[in-house]
Amino acid sequence: MNFRSTVFALLVACGISAPAWAKVAVGEPAPDFSLTDSNGKTQTLSQYKGKIVVLEWNNPECPFVGKHYGSGNMQKQQAEATAAGVVWLTVNSGAEGKQGDLDGAGANAYIAKVGAKQTAYLLDPTGSAGHSYGAKTTPHMYVIDQQGVLRYTGGIDSIASTDKGDLAKATQYVPQVLAELKDGKAVSVTTSQPYGCSVKYGS
Amino acid sequence: MLLAAASVAAAPAQADHVGIELVSESTALVPGRSATLGLRLVHEPHWHTYWINPGDSGLATKLTWELPVGFRAGEIIWPVPQRFDVGGLFNFGYSGDALLPVQLDVPASAKPGSNVQLAVEARWLVCREECIPGKARLALELPIAAEAATDPRWQAAFAAARAAQPRPAAQWTGTAQDNGDRIDVKVVGANPPHGTALDAFVVQRQVVGYAPPQVVHGANALTLSFAKSEYFTGAPAALDLLLIDGVAPDAHAWSVHAPLSSAKPSP
Repeated sequence: MNFRSTVFALLVACGISAPAWAKVAVGEPAPDFSLTDSNGKTQTLSQYKGKIVVLEWNNPECPFVGKHYGSGNMQKQQAEATAAGVVWLTVNSGAEGKQGDLDGAGANAYIAKVGAKQTAYLLDPTGSAGHSYGAKTTPHMYVIDQQGVLRYTGGIDSIASTDKGDLAKATQYVPQVLAELKDGKAVSVTTSQPYGCSVKYGS
Repeated sequence: MLLAAASVAAAPAQADHVGIELVSESTALVPGRSATLGLRLVHEPHWHTYWINPGDSGLATKLTWELPVGFRAGEIIWPVPQRFDVGGLFNFGYSGDALLPVQLDVPASAKPGSNVQLAVEARWLVCREECIPGKARLALELPIAAEAATDPRWQAAFAAARAAQPRPAAQWTGTAQDNGDRIDVKVVGANPPHGTALDAFVVQRQVVGYAPPQVVHGANALTLSFAKSEYFTGAPAALDLLLIDGVAPDAHAWSVHAPLSSAKPSP
């Protein structure tokens, strides 16, 4: 099905600008990327074929991100996932000069400060990976299976707020997806509404 | 405790980038009648707070009331919001001086000559590009009286909030169809709005994408075609949307209720 080009043609025909990004769909291959991490190392999705990969969009100064790091929720999910052999990649698509934009040293200082436990922190200042995934908010979460197929896109949990008091009542989607994948079960929630700050893309 | 007959407003809360205050349209509350209260938001230039559906990011303003027994506050009666384009992501909300009205039902048993304490916990998110969450407990003391006058301090703000309400689109019928990758809303009836800057905001989340819809004008019909939301998981029974001609606060807006059906499978 040539869905993407059909939509594009329609939009052009109607004189409306095309979306700046493609769509990723659950059940479809997740797009590959090549980004530099906070230690200057190149990181691609394809290098992790055979492993489950979690992508987490991050802006350290966003209050929604602060809710999940300030409470330890994010670090706990990272630690449990990586201990189980899952690759956890945190991605910062903030454009240079925008809020939360970090260089490698800044990212490493942030990781040390909050005690983050991801596999790597990836820098995406051009927004290329963010746009190819359609990452809209911080946080915005994706889970990709061993075959490189997207199995989850959406929010970190089920209650959109900046209030740490809501965490206990909320369903934490990524641990749920990871547990279901591990047990060979169908993923019960594959898609949810991401909530948070806008990703600070350059224009 | 002695209080003057006029309403006593608590001082407005000055939060980061927005002043916030609980105000009353009238100087007193009348037993057995409804009154209109308002959450007044005075945004610094370039900062905004959010509509019931905030769009791609953000968070709707939320009110939790603490009222005396017998008093009842309704939901926010949302004025027509503005569309904000944040680097290709879209939000719906308010800037400048905004007032979110709420209807307050006053019990018939309220005693003229007494005063009541009304309080609300407001939670909001205020954003420019960066965002700051806010929370305040706002209080307002009002006398109960047999008659009430309009409070001249807020008369213009309430009038503006009323003028910014969508009108019911009684003369038009809306239907929505799930066409796979798009959700199309058809509005049929005499003389649908034909402005070139026509826009539509959908109340429900996870149904449509938030970029402006494609608008096709027909004879006594209008079709609004939205990309389907990337986070669509199931169709609601109906869509509620605002059809907007122009830009708030000077927009003409109508509320349209459109039952949603799926397209028949192609043969």
